[in-house]
Amino acid sequence: MKLYRRSLWVFHLNSGSCNGCDIEILNALAPRQDAERLGVKLVGSPRHADAILFTGPVTREALPSVVRAIQAVPEPKIVLAVGACACGGGIWHDSYCVLGGIQGLYRVLKSMGVAPPKTIYVPGCPPKPEAIIHGIMLARGLAGQRQARSEYFEEQGPAVKAEEDLHRLFHKCFPGRLPPKTARVEWGVTRY
Amino acid sequence: MNRIKVLLENLRRGVVTEQYPFKPIRVPERLRGKPVIDPDKCAGCGACVNACPPNALTMRDDKHSSMRFIVLFIGRCIYCGKCEEACPFGAIRLTREFELAAENREDLYQVVGLRLYHCPLCGEPFTTVRLIKRVVEALPEEQRAAATLCPRCRESVTAHYRSYARR
Ligand code: SF4
Ligand code: SF4
Ligand code: SF4
Repeated sequence: MKLYRRSLWVFHLNSGSCNGCDIEILNALAPRQDAERLGVKLVGSPRHADAILFTGPVTREALPSVVRAIQAVPEPKIVLAVGACACGGGIWHDSYCVLGGIQGLYRVLKSMGVAPPKTIYVPGCPPKPEAIIHGIMLARGLAGQRQARSEYFEEQGPAVKAEEDLHRLFHKCFPGRLPPKTARVEWGVTRY
Repeated sequence: MNRIKVLLENLRRGVVTEQYPFKPIRVPERLRGKPVIDPDKCAGCGACVNACPPNALTMRDDKHSSMRFIVLFIGRCIYCGKCEEACPFGAIRLTREFELAAENREDLYQVVGLRLYHCPLCGEPFTTVRLIKRVVEALPEEQRAAATLCPRCRESVTAHYRSYARR
């Protein structure tokens, strides 16, 4: 994917982060990692920006300003959700005073009739400056995505057979009269 | 004089900027990066789910398909390594991978589905087949049968047999 061919001007938007991610963003722009050699420039106003470096879990206090800043960025825009907080709420995801990251913010934007912008997720708490640069490279189409979803589902056949073996082991050892069934426990509940 | 010293020092040191996206960087030996579950070792015990501070690891029992799902959402992980400490089978490990940027939220998930074990007495699923199998293999011969029951049935069965013994 090539979203931006040219230099990417970014606006750094803090929606109530702990400052860890913000420090790493500054590190990415500092001489050692020097994101500016890749055309990344930090701008002071959202109206000048192509992309938003979004940090924090979106606190309720920050919400009005965050929505205004996102709306002020001209289209086409791209949001880089930097850090665990922005990607999924992080350590604060179930707190009463946050919206739980960028998904909560998009829910608010949708209810306002604004289409959520294209997003790139950069997980980490905080992400290494190199990880942020990798996210920017991904947005510019200069790097490929390394992370992929992985799924594993146990094979049913051998598992069912193992279960039957275990049941047989039980019935062999307790062949006598067994007590009536105990009270049923409700299972299938989502556990966090 | 001091400034000249600084200037000379900087000239001596040369360029400090890393060539990162074009050349790989040296990753620290003990960097805590992306956690990965080894699906062959994982028994679905849920110890890591209890240990995970931000609930990046969650567990869901699906009664209809008889599967337990251990779901790791890397987007919420804080790389604390508690899961690695808690896992009794060494199934979850923190790798040194840090380039985790993804365009899609779905790409940040790892799902491990394991078959649920049903109690031979009450028929309720309570843990995974793999875990009970490993527990039974680790126990001495005479304790094996009782370990195949769910905790509630085990309680009532052992009480039942004890009451026979008293008479
Ligand atoms: S992801 Fe971690 S470092 Fe970044 S703002 Fe959240 S708590 Fe702070
Ligand atoms: S490293 Fe910490 S936050 Fe990440 S999955 Fe393990 S316990 Fe959860
Ligand atoms: S603690 Fe280890 S074995 Fe248990 S569910 Fe987690 S990864 Fe699997």
